[in-house]
Amino acid sequence: MILADLALTFGVLSLIAFGGMPAVMPEMQRLVVEVKAWTTPAEFIQLFAIAQAAPGPNVLICSLIGWRAAGLPGAIVALLAVCAPAAVLSWWVADLWERFKESPWRIAIQRAIAPLVVGLTLSGGFVLCTPSTPDWRLWTIAAASATAFLTLKINPLWILAAGGSVGAFLL
Amino acid sequence: MDVTPPKDLKELFTGFLAIGARSFGGVMPWAHRTMVEERRWLTQADFAETIGLCQFLPGPNIGNASIVLGKRWFGVAGSIVAFLGLMALPFIWVMALGVLYLEWASDPVVRAVVTGVGATGAGLFMGTALKLGRALVNRPAALVLVAVCFLSVGVGRISMLIVLPVSAAIGIFFARRGWL
Repeated sequence: MILADLALTFGVLSLIAFGGMPAVMPEMQRLVVEVKAWTTPAEFIQLFAIAQAAPGPNVLICSLIGWRAAGLPGAIVALLAVCAPAAVLSWWVADLWERFKESPWRIAIQRAIAPLVVGLTLSGGFVLCTPSTPDWRLWTIAAASATAFLTLKINPLWILAAGGSVGAFLL
Repeated sequence: MDVTPPKDLKELFTGFLAIGARSFGGVMPWAHRTMVEERRWLTQADFAETIGLCQFLPGPNIGNASIVLGKRWFGVAGSIVAFLGLMALPFIWVMALGVLYLEWASDPVVRAVVTGVGATGAGLFMGTALKLGRALVNRPAALVLVAVCFLSVGVGRISMLIVLPVSAAIGIFFARRGWL
């Protein structure tokens, strides 16, 4: 059943999303597009765009995918599934984490995870702008956007708006 | 600075509702503004520490923050109320935009604009990664791990279910030797 499948898929994504949603995008894209075929590669980047442009946490891309796969119930199930396992973990770990503040293992885990988050977030961006075959236009827009993000101190919404306008001419 | 935590579930709900409703272009700045500056629920340092923990935990960062803060103030009920307050309006916005988009998706210009926004969002992720990566440039072992993750997951499309445990184990080994 598709709702159970959505719950399981997004539940797994929840528990491996170290560094938040950007870092888990490669696996989400792989599962949703390649394994489950809930969206096409082109549609995946478009749903991602909608979730980025709308106000709110970027985790809402999951409800858009759930919606395309199984309507409104799918949207709700996917959102709850991607949040609940991590929420339960946060609930338990919050106090524990405080207690092990000085533990060498906690420090080692924190140091180990930082480079993984960087590499996976980079992968997330790369995978998103490489839907099926490499497209230099998407890469150009992404590179310009990354540069603008790193050099200009403006609300990212303006960068998204500029990217959309460029897309109208270039794509 | 005086802090006044939310006095009841209603205040907790409306606070998180205000964060979700306004968070154009990223939730964290609005979470800070609402909870630290406007409502003074917690101090700047406390906020930074809570967000730091939630960024470390798997899952949506701000979603986890609503759970952790809700729990601190009102237990299970607080977690649920904060989470629902945070997600309620953004869920409606994003679904409305999704429906609207589907209506127009056959128009090639609309599709081009939306795909352009998607590529821009992808670039924002890369920019974020580079910004976080600046702290690692003087640590060769960390850069090796970044490259391994990017080449295997991003370019090689290998499942994170394989790459994550392996690279985490290598990372912890490196960290215990003081290389990270």
